[in-house]
Amino acid sequence: MQYIDYVTLPWYKKIVVRLTKAAKNLGHNFVALISKIGKFLISAFTGIVGGIKYFFSTFWKGDIRTKLSYLFMGSGCLLRGQIVRGLAFLALQMFYIVYMVSFGWGQLKLFPTLGTATKKEIWDEVNQIYLYEQGDNSMLILLFSVLTIAISIVMFYLYFRNIRMAYENQQLLKAGKKLNTIVDDAREFLDKKLHVTFLSLPTLGVIFFTALPLIFMILIAFTNYDKNHQPPGSLFTWVGLENFRNILSGRDVLATTFKGVLAWTIIWAIFATFSNYILGMLLALMINKKGIKFKSMWRTIFVITIAVPQFVTLLLMSRLLDDRGAVNILLGYLGMGPVKFLTDAAIARVTVIVVNIWVGVPYTMLITTGILMNIPAELYESARIDGAGPYKTFTKITLPYMLFVTTPYLITQFVSNINNFNVIFLLSGGNPLALDYYQAGKTDLLVTWLYKLTVNYQDYNLASTIGIMIFVISAAASLIVYNSSSSAKKEGMFQ
Amino acid sequence: MKKTVAILLSILLITALFTGCGAGPKQTVTLKVWGSQEDQAMLTKMVDEFKAANKGKSYDITFGVVSEADAKTKVLEDPSAAADVFAFANDQIKDLVNAGALYEITRNKEKITSENMEGSIEASTVDGKLYAYPETADNGYFMYYDKSVFSADDVKSLDKMLEVANAKGKKVFMDVSNGWYIASFFLGAGGTLTVGEDGNQKCDFNNDNGVKAGEAIKAFTADPAFLTGDDAVLKGGIGGEIAAGVSGTWNAEDIKSILGDNYAATKLPTFTLGSEQVQMGSFAGYKLVGISSQTKFPVDAMDLGEWLTNEKNQITRFETRAMGPSNKKAASSDAVKANVALAALAEQNQFATSQKDVLGTYWAPAEAFGTAMEAKDYSKPIKEMLDTMVSQIEGK
Amino acid sequence: MRMGMKKRGSVANTIIYIILSVLSVLWILPILWLVITSFRAELGAWTPYILPKEYTINNYTRLFTDTALFNYPRWFMNTLVVAVFSCIITTILNLMTSYTLSRLRFKARKAILNIGLILGMFPGFMAMIAVYFLLKAIGLTQSLVALVLVYSAGAGLSYYIAKGFFDTIPKSLDEAATIDGATQNMVFWKVILPLSKPIVIYSTLMAFMAPWLDFIFVSVIMKDNYNNYTVALGLWQMLTRENIYQYFTQFCAGAVLISIPITLLFIKMQKYYVEGVTAGGVKG
Repeated sequence: MQYIDYVTLPWYKKIVVRLTKAAKNLGHNFVALISKIGKFLISAFTGIVGGIKYFFSTFWKGDIRTKLSYLFMGSGCLLRGQIVRGLAFLALQMFYIVYMVSFGWGQLKLFPTLGTATKKEIWDEVNQIYLYEQGDNSMLILLFSVLTIAISIVMFYLYFRNIRMAYENQQLLKAGKKLNTIVDDAREFLDKKLHVTFLSLPTLGVIFFTALPLIFMILIAFTNYDKNHQPPGSLFTWVGLENFRNILSGRDVLATTFKGVLAWTIIWAIFATFSNYILGMLLALMINKKGIKFKSMWRTIFVITIAVPQFVTLLLMSRLLDDRGAVNILLGYLGMGPVKFLTDAAIARVTVIVVNIWVGVPYTMLITTGILMNIPAELYESARIDGAGPYKTFTKITLPYMLFVTTPYLITQFVSNINNFNVIFLLSGGNPLALDYYQAGKTDLLVTWLYKLTVNYQDYNLASTIGIMIFVISAAASLIVYNSSSSAKKEGMFQ
Repeated sequence: MKKTVAILLSILLITALFTGCGAGPKQTVTLKVWGSQEDQAMLTKMVDEFKAANKGKSYDITFGVVSEADAKTKVLEDPSAAADVFAFANDQIKDLVNAGALYEITRNKEKITSENMEGSIEASTVDGKLYAYPETADNGYFMYYDKSVFSADDVKSLDKMLEVANAKGKKVFMDVSNGWYIASFFLGAGGTLTVGEDGNQKCDFNNDNGVKAGEAIKAFTADPAFLTGDDAVLKGGIGGEIAAGVSGTWNAEDIKSILGDNYAATKLPTFTLGSEQVQMGSFAGYKLVGISSQTKFPVDAMDLGEWLTNEKNQITRFETRAMGPSNKKAASSDAVKANVALAALAEQNQFATSQKDVLGTYWAPAEAFGTAMEAKDYSKPIKEMLDTMVSQIEGK
Repeated sequence: MRMGMKKRGSVANTIIYIILSVLSVLWILPILWLVITSFRAELGAWTPYILPKEYTINNYTRLFTDTALFNYPRWFMNTLVVAVFSCIITTILNLMTSYTLSRLRFKARKAILNIGLILGMFPGFMAMIAVYFLLKAIGLTQSLVALVLVYSAGAGLSYYIAKGFFDTIPKSLDEAATIDGATQNMVFWKVILPLSKPIVIYSTLMAFMAPWLDFIFVSVIMKDNYNNYTVALGLWQMLTRENIYQYFTQFCAGAVLISIPITLLFIKMQKYYVEGVTAGGVKG
C-alpha cells in the first residue's frame, strides 16, 4: 500500500491495517529470524568442514615454504620476501605461545572446576601469626579463561589465514605474478579494505569492553556465585540451569518477585515511551506553530533541563517529592494533605512516570521538531483546502505521519526504557519495598532489582540470570522489529 | 601469572621470615590505610606518631578514602586491591570473613581482648577467631530530645512522650521504615535474630510477643505526633516541629549546635507491649579495624592496626571526632562520661543486642514491614504480615 | 471570513501561550530550586520551609577554597580532561564505524550490524566488574586513562544515529570522487566529513557529556583514589550519611557549576543536535 492510500483511510481502518501488518510482520519476521539462524548454523557447519578439507589438502599440495608455515606462522610470507607480514605473523605466534605457557593455560586448566584450592594457613611461631598462601579465585579463573578462549579463537583464525596466505602466495608465484609489497598492502587497506582499517579499533574496544565481559556475565548465570560463595574465601562452581529454575518456578518468593517486577517493567516501558513521545510531539507542535513568537526562547527553557546532570535533577526531585518535601509543604500551605508521592506503591508508580516525562519530553521535543518540519507541506495544504481544523490535521496527518516515520526510534526508546536505570534508582530507589518481594520494591525495574542483588547482596548468579532474561526479551523484540522496519529495508533508497 | 607471582612472593616471604629478617638491609614497608573522608587528617596524625614510635623501620604508608559503611562493597569488588588496614562497620564482618578478606588477628590477642569491652570483642569474633581490632563502640542509636518540650520524666515512656507532644503540637521522630530502628520494638519484646545451622537467618519476630510489638508499632505510627523520615528531616526539624528523635552519635554535633541549651539525649523510652511497659531494645554496633588477608606485610599491618585502635588513639578519636571508645579505660574517662550523646548511648547499650548475628536478608523485609506500617496499610492482619516478613528474613 | 479565521487563530495562540508558560514554569521550577538551594545559608538537605531564610555565596567559594575534604576544582579538571579526550576518540571511532557500516559494502556487514544492535542491549553495569579486572590485568585501574578507555570503548556500538545520517548522503558524491582517483579513505576525510557537521557535533556533544553524568562506573574503577575522581562521583560523595547535612548546599552549588557549561554548549549546538538526530535517528 502506498503511503498516500494509507493516509486517506478512515482512522479505524488505519488501525486495522497497522495491526494486521504488524501481526503479519511479526509472524513473518519470527520465521525469518529462525530460518536465518538455521541458515547461519548450516553455513557455519559447511564452512568448518570445508576448512578442514582445505587444511589437509593444502598441506599435501603446498611446497616446503607453505608446509613450513603450518609450524611457524608467517613462513609462507617471510620466505617469499614479504618480510613485514611474515614477521608480524611470527611475532603473534610467539606472543601466543608465551601467553599460553605463562598464564593462559594455567587459567584454562581450572576452567572446568573454577578452582578448588582455598587459602592455606601456616603458623609462624616467631611473629605469632598465620602466614597465608593464597588459593584460587573462581571469578578471576572464569574471567581469564574467557579471555584466553577468545584470544585462542582469534589466534586460530589468524593461523588459518596464515596457511591460506602461504598457499595463495605459492599459487601467485607459480602463475608468474608479483606478490603484494608492503606499500601495496597499505594502499589496499586505505581503499578496498578500508572497512578493515576503520573497524579494527572500534571492534577491539567492543570485544574487550563489551563482548568479553558480557560472555563472562552470561556464564555466571550457570554458577553459584552468590553471597555464600565469595571468592577467594569460598569458591564457586558450575550449577547448570539451577538459577533459571529458581527464578521461573523454584523458590516461590523469587518467582513472585520476578513476575511482579517484569510486569511492572513492561507497563513502565510502555507508559514511559508513549507519554514522552506524544507529549514531546505536542510541545514541539505548539512551539513551532505559525504565529507563536520567541520560538528559540521556549525551546531553550526546555533544553536547560537536559543540560543539568540527570543524577542531580532526579535526586532533587526525590527530595522535592518526599513525604515532607517542598511540594508537600506547598500543598500544606494550600490546605491540602500531604501526598505520598514516593511512599505509596500506586502513587509512586504514577510519580516515576510523571517525573520521567519531565526528564524525557525535552529530548523528544528536540527530535520531533526536526521531523515535523519535514512533513510535506502539500499534505497540510490539501487538508486546509478540505477545511480540516487543527485537531483533525493532527490526528489525520501529523500523528500518522510521525508514527509511520519514527517506528524505529520508538523501538529503541522502548528498549532503553526497559533498561532505564537512572530514573528509578535515583528517584525512588525502587521503593516502597514490598513484603512479598525478594529484595525488591514496587517501583523496581528488572535492572534496578538486578543492581540491588549484586551491590547489596552479592547474588551475582541471580542478577546475571535476570540480565540474560532482560537481554533475551529486548534482543528478540528489537531484532525482529529492526529487520522489518522501513529504516533497514530502505537504507539504500537515497543512495 | 598473578598466581605464580603470589606463590613466589609468599615463598619468598616465608624464607625471609625464617632466615631472620633483621639480617638484610632495611626493607621499606609499604602499607595502605582506608578510612572515611572526615578521618583523614586524624589518621595521618596517628600514622605519623606510629612511624615515630617505630624508628627502627622504614615505612611508606599511604591513605585511601573508603568510609566504614562502604568498606565491604569496595573490598569484595577486588580483595587484592583492598588496603592493608581498613575500617569497617561490624555488621560486615561475616561477609568479609566468608570472602576470605580478613586476616586472623593472633598477635597480642590476649591484650586486645582484655582491654576492650566484651561486646566489641564479640563483634570482632567469628567462629571463635578474632578478625578485627575494635575501634569505636558508638555505632548504635538512642534518643535526642528538646529539653524545652520534654522533662527528664516525660522521656521515660513513649506513651507519655506522645501525649505531651500532641498537647504541645510537636512531633516524635523515628525512622520506622528502616530495619535498624524498627528492631527496637521486636528486640524490646524479647525477639531474637540468630544464625541457623544452614547458615540462614533465624528470626522469631512473628511469635506472640512479636505480634504485640507489631501492634505497638502500628499504634505508634498511627499517632498524630509520629514523624518518620531520614537524617535530613530530623536535622531540619529538630528544635522546631520535632521535639525528640531516634538517631546515633554521627548527628550529635549538628543536633547539639541546633538545639543549643535545650540539647539533651537519653536511652530509648519504654513502650506498651500488650498491657505492660517494656524497655525498647536496639542494635549495638561497633566500628572495627581489619587487616587484609592479602597484605604483603602482615606483621606491620597488625602493628599499625593495633596502634590505630589503642587506648591513646581511641581517646584521640573521641577528642577530635567525638567517637565513643571501645577501650575500657578510654571509655571510663570523665570526659567520655560527660559527653551527653555517648552517655545516652551507654545507657541504651544495656538493652542492646549485638548486630553480629544479623545477616543481609534481614534488612529489606524489615524495612518493607515498616513501610507498610507508615503507609497505614492494614489490608492484612499484623500476624500475617509478620509471618511473611519472617519467612523472607529466613530466606525461605 | 478572513477576520474570523484570524480571530480564531489568535485565540488559539493565546491558549498556546498560556500552556507554554505553565509548562515552562513546571520545567524551570526544579532547576530554580536547585539554584536557590545553592545560595542557601542554612545547612541541611531538608528544611521545613521552602525559601531560604538567608542567602550566601559561601557554598560556591567553599567549593574552591575548602578543598581538603572535597577537591572540587581538581575533580572538575579531571572530568574536563577525560571528557575532552574521550569525546575526541569516541567521535572519531564512532564516525569511522558508522561510515563503514553505512557506505562500504563487505561480507560481514549485515552480521556486524545485527551483533552491534544486540550487544548494546545487555544491562551495561553488569559487566563493570569484568571490565575492572581486565583493566587491572593491563595495569590501568584507578587512572584517568582507564576512564577515557572505558568511555571510548563503546564507541563502536553507538553507530545507529550517525549511520542513519551517512545513509542520507547521496552515493553519487563518492562515485564522482572515486572516478577522480580518490581512495575510499580520502572520500571519507575529504568528501563526506565536510558534509557531516551536524552529526560530528551531535556525536561530540553526546560523548562530551557522558563523563559529567556517570558516577557508578567511575566508582568501580577509581575505588579509593580520591584525586582521580570525576565531578559526578565527587558530588555523589557529598551525599553520604556523614556528609549530607554539611555539604548538601555545596552539592547544589557544584551541580549548578557543571550545568552552566553544558547548558551553554547545548544552547549553542542545539541546531546541529536537531539536524543530526533527525537525519540519523528517525527516517522513513
